[in-house]
Amino acid sequence: MIKRLFLILAFLTVFPLFAKDAVRVVTSANFAPYEYYEGDKIVGIDIDIITEIFARHGKSVIVEDMKFDAVIVAIQTGKGDVAASGLTVTEDRKKEVDFSIPYVSAKQVIIVPVSSPVKGAADLKGKRIGVQSGTTGDSYVTDNIDKNPQRFDDASTAVASLLKGKLDAVVLDVEPANVHASKHKSLTILAEPLTTEEYAFAVAKGQEGLLNMLNCGLQQMIDDGTLDSIREKYDKKTQNIVQETLAESEKSGGWNDFYTNFIKFDRWNYLWEGFQVTMIVAMASVLLGVFLGFLVAVIRSTADITGKLKTADWFCRLYLTVIRGTPVVLQLMIIYFVVFGSVNVPKIVVAIIAFGINSGAYVAEIIRSGIMSIDRGQMEAGRSLGLSYSKTMTLVILPQAFKNVLPALGNEFIVLLKETSVCGFIALQDLTKGGDIIRSQTYNAFMPLIAVALIYLFLVMIFSRFLAILEKRLKKNE
Amino acid sequence: MNLLKIDRVSKSFRSKQVLTDISFEVEKGEVVAIIGPSGSGKTTLLRCAAMLERADGGTISMGGVTFFKDGVLAKKDVRKEARRKCGMVFQNFNLFPHMSVLENIIDAPVHIAGVPRAEAVAEAEELLKKMELSDHAAAYPCELSGGQQQRVAIARALALHPEILFFDEPTSALDPELTQGVLRVIRDLAMEKMTMVIVTHEMDFAEKVADRIIFMADGVVVESGTAKDIIHNPAKERTKMFIAGLKTEM
Repeated sequence: MIKRLFLILAFLTVFPLFAKDAVRVVTSANFAPYEYYEGDKIVGIDIDIITEIFARHGKSVIVEDMKFDAVIVAIQTGKGDVAASGLTVTEDRKKEVDFSIPYVSAKQVIIVPVSSPVKGAADLKGKRIGVQSGTTGDSYVTDNIDKNPQRFDDASTAVASLLKGKLDAVVLDVEPANVHASKHKSLTILAEPLTTEEYAFAVAKGQEGLLNMLNCGLQQMIDDGTLDSIREKYDKKTQNIVQETLAESEKSGGWNDFYTNFIKFDRWNYLWEGFQVTMIVAMASVLLGVFLGFLVAVIRSTADITGKLKTADWFCRLYLTVIRGTPVVLQLMIIYFVVFGSVNVPKIVVAIIAFGINSGAYVAEIIRSGIMSIDRGQMEAGRSLGLSYSKTMTLVILPQAFKNVLPALGNEFIVLLKETSVCGFIALQDLTKGGDIIRSQTYNAFMPLIAVALIYLFLVMIFSRFLAILEKRLKKNE
Repeated sequence: MNLLKIDRVSKSFRSKQVLTDISFEVEKGEVVAIIGPSGSGKTTLLRCAAMLERADGGTISMGGVTFFKDGVLAKKDVRKEARRKCGMVFQNFNLFPHMSVLENIIDAPVHIAGVPRAEAVAEAEELLKKMELSDHAAAYPCELSGGQQQRVAIARALALHPEILFFDEPTSALDPELTQGVLRVIRDLAMEKMTMVIVTHEMDFAEKVADRIIFMADGVVVESGTAKDIIHNPAKERTKMFIAGLKTEM
């Protein structure tokens, strides 16, 4: 009897999982060989394991890439079901999420230049240490060696800094460290690991059914050797990559770098697709921003001029204070994780809304200053001709105000266009993120960064030119 | 029949009393000039009558429509009706700089009075001819001289067929040599029996064109009468001082 009851309970807790179409797996795909991009597909040990576990239950998975910092938040807020991102089990994280049984023991190792005086963990004190933000290496170094290590979004940038002599050592998981060390002859991995850790999958607290499914699946795969064969597969791949990158680095040079970063595997596609996302987000949010801005500016000036609309004015001022008083990247993340936390809205829409609302606040003040710059005689002339307040506003005041503030509005658009580069924080693949993906695949910082920068510059120059022509046209009656 | 009736109107800005118990009427076809030293409240009075400023107390009727009664504004549609009866010409013209001369004139007739565009254009051209500005229909205000701009402003006000036209120091912002064209236009309107109230500093002009002059000082009407009486034979000491001051200036 009790056994049957237990079965029913177990079924009820697992059931909702089956009701959904696919399991959403969140990861930070710049951590080879656990998760990384192969072409435009995310692959890796974690991904293979998780896919296999759910495949055995007849379920498919959708893998979503985001910043490592955002992975745990994503499962907590229901943006994803399982975090499979080389997550080390720590006491702190246990308070936030539930972990599966570990599927790998990983070492945190120290990468240093070959000639470095740092020979072991004991020498790290007082040195400039680079870590990947939010990783175990980060928390270990922070707790035990240096309260403020230099925290990088991805391992490639940390290693690039080490190569440039901006760091004395980088602490990384052993597998990605191997890749970097083999690519760069001038770097070496210290034999003694900093610490040894265990990786596990994470789910939101209270997801008993899901956790059971992960644990059972992992145990099965450990027992039947599937886990080992997945590891072997990637060990081989890593060796291949190492040899390949070695071969490439030998013939490293301008054209070869260009070929690796943009032509090979059609990597230019990341930039092209990212460019489209950036343009869509910037264009759509500037329209939303101008609409909101006009609305708020008209409400605020009406309140100033006539003393009416006091309540609406109060809300407008609150909006301006909050939006202009907080960084846009936080607004973007709050709108994604909190406001739309439990609803499934395409990320590009989230970005448009976030940047639109943000831009609206700045546009509002620009347009309001435009309205206030118009002589009050214009309003009186309109009123004396029998035009209503709103007619005078739309026919007389706003056209003049708009023309006066056009340069400032154009500037706001330029700022907005560049601000969209933080889209990567919600894993939206914009231009900057496209460059980041290339960087994480080629371990080359220079080419992708410069290419992305040139594209932004090019866009801004074209836009400025267009704006200058428009201004000239509007100036004709002055 | 009076077109404008102002009855015991008063107004203060903060603690400063600018109009005290002002009363007068303007008959149909009459031209009234309001003169007085600066700060006497004459412009404020005109603006209260033209509904650009709200008086504190008193009653104002326009063409029989009482839009301000015992210190209280009438309902919106009543104010609208009263507003339709008057036109205003400003010291600084206040033309719409983003519209051509023609658009300035037809804007209100088309958008408010619902006049068909073609009809409004035809009438605007007629008015421009009268203002001797036919060549400038397509020009923008910034391309015109001050005098030309003021004549466009007059045409713009006339296009709505007001029963009464208010002028607030129409020539004060103009260079002396440009005032004549504007004054001539106003004189022509007076000949056509257009009802007008003109706040002005041009004493010669007031004498020539006005049927009646109201002299104001310190927010009160000191005296009013025919142009000849006020300028050449003022009764009150205050008026004499003002007129004498103007003469020595000249």
